[in-house]
Amino acid sequence: MSTQLLFAALVAGSLYALVALGLNLVYGTLRLLNIAHGDLVMIGAYVAFWMLSLLGMPPVLSLFAAAALCGGFGWLIYVGIFRKLLSTPALARRLEANSLILFYGVSVILQNGVSLAFTSTARGYQYLNEVHRFAGVAASGNRLMLLGVALVLCLGMLLFLRFHLFGWSLRAVIERRDAAAVVGVDVDRVQMATICTGFAIAGVAGVLVSMTEQITPFMGFPFTIAALVVIVLGGLGNIFAGIVAGFALGFIETFGIAATSATYRSILIYGLFVAVLLLRPQGLFGKAIQAR
Amino acid sequence: MTKLNLDIIGGPLLVLAGLALPFAGADYLMGIAFNLAMWIALTQSWSILSAMTGYVSLGHVVFCGIGSYVFILTNGTLPMPVALACAGLAAGVMALVIGLPVLRVRGPYFVILTFGLAELAKNVIVQIETSLGQFSRLIFDAPALDTLYFIMFGLAVASTAAAVLVRHSKLGRGLVAIRENEEAAEAIGVPVTRLKLIAFVVAAIIPGIVGGVLLLRTSYFEAAQAFDPVISFSIVTMAIVGGMGTVRGPILGSLAFVLLSELLWARFPQLYMIILGALLILFILFMPRGLSGLFERREARR
Amino acid sequence: MTILDVQGISKSFGGLKALTNVSFSVEEGAIFGLMGANGAGKTTLFAVIAGQIKPSGGSVSFRNRTITGKRPDQICRLGISRTFQIVRPFAGISVLDNVIVSALYGAAASNSHAEAREAGIAALEAVGLAGSADKLAGELTLSGQKRLEIARALATGAEMLLLDEVMAGLTPTEVEEMIATLSELRRARNLTFMLVEHVMGALMALSDRILALDHGVPIAIGTPAEIAANPDVLKVYFG
Repeated sequence: MSTQLLFAALVAGSLYALVALGLNLVYGTLRLLNIAHGDLVMIGAYVAFWMLSLLGMPPVLSLFAAAALCGGFGWLIYVGIFRKLLSTPALARRLEANSLILFYGVSVILQNGVSLAFTSTARGYQYLNEVHRFAGVAASGNRLMLLGVALVLCLGMLLFLRFHLFGWSLRAVIERRDAAAVVGVDVDRVQMATICTGFAIAGVAGVLVSMTEQITPFMGFPFTIAALVVIVLGGLGNIFAGIVAGFALGFIETFGIAATSATYRSILIYGLFVAVLLLRPQGLFGKAIQAR
Repeated sequence: MTKLNLDIIGGPLLVLAGLALPFAGADYLMGIAFNLAMWIALTQSWSILSAMTGYVSLGHVVFCGIGSYVFILTNGTLPMPVALACAGLAAGVMALVIGLPVLRVRGPYFVILTFGLAELAKNVIVQIETSLGQFSRLIFDAPALDTLYFIMFGLAVASTAAAVLVRHSKLGRGLVAIRENEEAAEAIGVPVTRLKLIAFVVAAIIPGIVGGVLLLRTSYFEAAQAFDPVISFSIVTMAIVGGMGTVRGPILGSLAFVLLSELLWARFPQLYMIILGALLILFILFMPRGLSGLFERREARR
Repeated sequence: MTILDVQGISKSFGGLKALTNVSFSVEEGAIFGLMGANGAGKTTLFAVIAGQIKPSGGSVSFRNRTITGKRPDQICRLGISRTFQIVRPFAGISVLDNVIVSALYGAAASNSHAEAREAGIAALEAVGLAGSADKLAGELTLSGQKRLEIARALATGAEMLLLDEVMAGLTPTEVEEMIATLSELRRARNLTFMLVEHVMGALMALSDRILALDHGVPIAIGTPAEIAANPDVLKVYFG
């Protein structure tokens, strides 16, 4: 097994783990399957691109800008739409049943809105692409940064859930939303914080992606699919298993493509996705286990 | 009674208008009518599974795509009508084969699974075509537009008739019970797996044929286009905007969108998709009964 | 004559034993009660009989025919129908349509819509819901929805009904009415019942025989009087 491939798998895995982390948090606490999650990654990527091209702002600062923008978007739709809908049981049920179609609508609007505004041409920029060599691996600076930031965020979230009081409330809401409210958890505040955090993480992931590959308005959907594979593999709300599954997907993809050809990437991801859902038809309803 | 009257007058009127259209002599008009008939055929067939059982499919295009592919492979070797029948049959067989495992998956996971399946099928066919060195296949002996229009019109009528029949049959009542509560349906004797599978297969056949006819109209096959997810998305949007509760819904939805798609889809695809997405969200949140809900309310008041 | 025979049923979920070696038989036309605290395994036992849960061991036969391993819809068509403790109405369609589906697909499976409608109306009348036939099922009160559960089970044409806590959450007057309804049903239609009930008075008043379960283990079986005097039952219930 070449160490170079191993490194590539690690980078891909950390990215999937990060993207899935955001989706997992939002699904766990709001029970809304945000299929537009990957499009937030795309938005983050465009933030980095335009900040650099128009203002000359280094992408590392865009990490914060994208987090703020996507997090703010999360806050806006939570306060504007979901808070009221989720607090009425009848509406919440209708929303849950249709959430996927609803978010598909959001996804379509984001993709085509960006495409309309900036054309669908693939864009890219050069950043931190000097190559570092160690232990037989040639690693570009941007990939190292991707790996580093993703690992720090994933680990940080795990520690936060484990040791911070607010993290505990969050876990409580993931496991038993009704019971959490009874024992005094401010469910509204937890939901709002989670949607902001989940969206912000997607934005950050987008900036990281844009440092390493070309971006298009339609780049997001494969990330949503990959994140869903990760969550179904890892189990709803199981943040730790989700991160492990993210790395597993990175390895499967990297080594699968190395063994065949890059043109099989879509087949691999969608095939894996279909297989996972068929084998676990209960999907994310599988047992909710706390973050360990 | 008003409802009955509306359907008794409106239904045959639509059919007559449809039959008379080719004699108006305007190809442009007939092109639009062809598309309208196509959307009605597709949305109506979609509703047989998705509106009846609540298993909302976001991958209905997969049956069109398979139909197209089988049609392009068999047309020429077989006479065209036989090739069209093969296209429908192939889509039905595919539904039969994948139905059992796929229909075990419920709720939002079914929605996203159907999307994933369609994308998987698309990528596999694209890969097959690439490895065969085929990038697009042409059809040279396509019939004239009015012939194609009559075929598509027939499919729209057949699809609507199938939807009406299913809705008023024992099968339809069983499917609705599944939609309302699958465990309870099973507990009162509804063979849920069998009924879902029947609905899935019935819903697949017409889009298979539609896929073949559409090829004759565009006169070339390209996998990425035959499996275009925009088609699935348009179907769901038309059904939801038209209203999922009645047979009228898909017709109203198709009528509402055919002009929009005519004007925008080819020239301003992004704008088309944005409008579709926005309407979809608005209708789900604020008008869950769709356009046909407006009719019902008016009829109820009388 | 024995209509239902349960032999050595066990069921465990992971490490948890929900049912341990449960055996009993029910006579045709009897009302057979199940008692036990929350988590005693009563609902699990219903689900095993009705086919929703496959047992880890043991067998169930209905009219001398083994039904273990059959699907719920098959078991229903053989003549057993259950209700759900947490009601599951087909909320979006009318009350009448709820029972018509039952009549179309249940044990009396009819292909005639007119027949099914008749059977459905009869079932609604039997539980006192005929007046609400055109309402949406979701608009019924809890008591109404509990009655609808029974009507739907009745309309299947079942010979044996498994009623899971049909009185829980009802007011005392409604419980009285429900007891009257069930007694009348038994008399008029010669049905066999199994009841799970927390309302102890109702269970004692209605049942011919009672099985007491404690954490999935059968601790006593007998007439209501015998059960009330059984030292093991008293120990479990009153310490």
